[in-house]
Amino acid sequence: MSILFQGRATGATAVKQSLWNRFVMFWVHHIRQALTSLGEIWLTPASSLLTVAVLGVSLTLPVTLHLMVKNLQQVSSSIDQAAQISLFLKADTNETQIAELIALLQANPEVADVQFIDKSQALAEFTAESGFGDAFSYIEDNPLPHVMLVSPKNTSSVAASALLETLKQERYVELAKLDIGWLERLDAIVSLVRQVAMAVALLLMVAVLLVVGNTIRLMILNKKDEIEVMKLVGATNSYIQRPFLYTGIWLGFFGGILTFLIEEVLLWWLKHAIAGVTQLYESSFTLEPMSLAELGYLLLVAISLGFFGSLLAVRRNISQIEATGL
Amino acid sequence: MLRFEQVTKSYSGGFVALDRVSFHLEKGEMAFLTGHSGAGKSTLLKLISLIERPTTGKVFINGVDLSRVNRGQVPYVRRDIGMIFQNHKLLMNHSVFDNVALPLVIEGFSGKDMTKRVHAALDKVGLLDKVRCLPHTLSGGEQQRVGIARAVVNRPPLLLADEPTGNLDPDLSKDIMNVFEAFNQVGVSVLIASHDLSLLARMRYRTLTLKNGRMINDGLTSYGADE
Repeated sequence: MSILFQGRATGATAVKQSLWNRFVMFWVHHIRQALTSLGEIWLTPASSLLTVAVLGVSLTLPVTLHLMVKNLQQVSSSIDQAAQISLFLKADTNETQIAELIALLQANPEVADVQFIDKSQALAEFTAESGFGDAFSYIEDNPLPHVMLVSPKNTSSVAASALLETLKQERYVELAKLDIGWLERLDAIVSLVRQVAMAVALLLMVAVLLVVGNTIRLMILNKKDEIEVMKLVGATNSYIQRPFLYTGIWLGFFGGILTFLIEEVLLWWLKHAIAGVTQLYESSFTLEPMSLAELGYLLLVAISLGFFGSLLAVRRNISQIEATGL
Repeated sequence: MLRFEQVTKSYSGGFVALDRVSFHLEKGEMAFLTGHSGAGKSTLLKLISLIERPTTGKVFINGVDLSRVNRGQVPYVRRDIGMIFQNHKLLMNHSVFDNVALPLVIEGFSGKDMTKRVHAALDKVGLLDKVRCLPHTLSGGEQQRVGIARAVVNRPPLLLADEPTGNLDPDLSKDIMNVFEAFNQVGVSVLIASHDLSLLARMRYRTLTLKNGRMINDGLTSYGADE
């Protein structure tokens, strides 16, 4: 549309085109500009590579923390499933009383399973596993109590501790113990790590935004003359800023890919160390890698950071460059 | 086509670049704008292309008051005006074709239609054989003609030129002027700022003379008196 000359046919709109044709051309245009921006990155590899590296490294830290939280949660949930209450019986409990207690516990709807460990059996196990070996043969009396292992139906820590309170009241029970203290601590640590990850991620995202913004700002300043000429021949700000926005998107994309690669290498490297630790605990723990959905989120975040970082720079700088011309 | 009404432009610091300038350029008219450097020629052209805004007074193009044009509309106004610059203002790392095509690309042209128009514009300035060259491999006169091709490629009704023959020898200057005359003959209004007095004398067109920001002469060439 011409502002000065009513009816002057200007631009491609002057040529009659079908809606479909225009729709196709819109996308063709955008893809072409995206590829042009990619080419520009290719032409100035040094600065773009540095920016991509900063992006990749910055995003690696929050992603690593996220994976750590995810794996810790997996550990704590697998332990949670095995939460057991140990009932240490009074020393003078006899056979019939034990049978009575077992029957009572099995009748309790909260209880999934009851396992009785005789004190002589316990001593044998302890002798075998503790490594004290022969030392026990010098003890005349068996100092261990009978133990009953109760598996609660509901394995959540709240329900289990409620059950613990009721079982403590049983007549023959000397001591009842639910080892969820360390579980709660682990949960607390996991949630702490998650909070830290969030904070770190937030800070690093701001850093990435600024880094991308600065890179784009330098690119704009490098092209100041070109932008001036474009303004002189009637380019709108949005037309001029589009390639820079695409550049931001590409930087974000490559930064995300780099993060993924660094993460993979890191996991591969840590795998052996972690295997060593888990072997000691005889656990069947396997390190969960990044899932496809997580990779998708990572790329989405990286690309948005690139886009908004460059938008920041573009908004500030392109309108400041005024055509001085003539 | 182009009308100035009591236009004054003063810059911060009190320097008055234009002082109550009024004139009217008819549709299809060709005129020269002359005066010493610093007389206000560039300022006058900047007011037309909305690089600057007048302090007081009004500028009209085709009856449209330019003070009513807001910032966002400025690019669309510039698309209606073909501008030629003394220092060419070409994109040095793009080919001649890309340079001339720039206004069309901005307006959304592509493909055959664009190529056709670019070739037509380059043909008019006699540079069709240099389509693939980079600007710095061309001579000054050729670069200037690329600038002209770019200015006319989207067929604007108004053409502004700032010292288009600035650094060219007389023969080349004459060539360039012939190109402008050819456009004028097909109905384009042309305003050329130049201090090349001998050229102006030969061309015999209406001449607007500025001195210290004031329009001291508006008419056919008659200078020499106080030069």
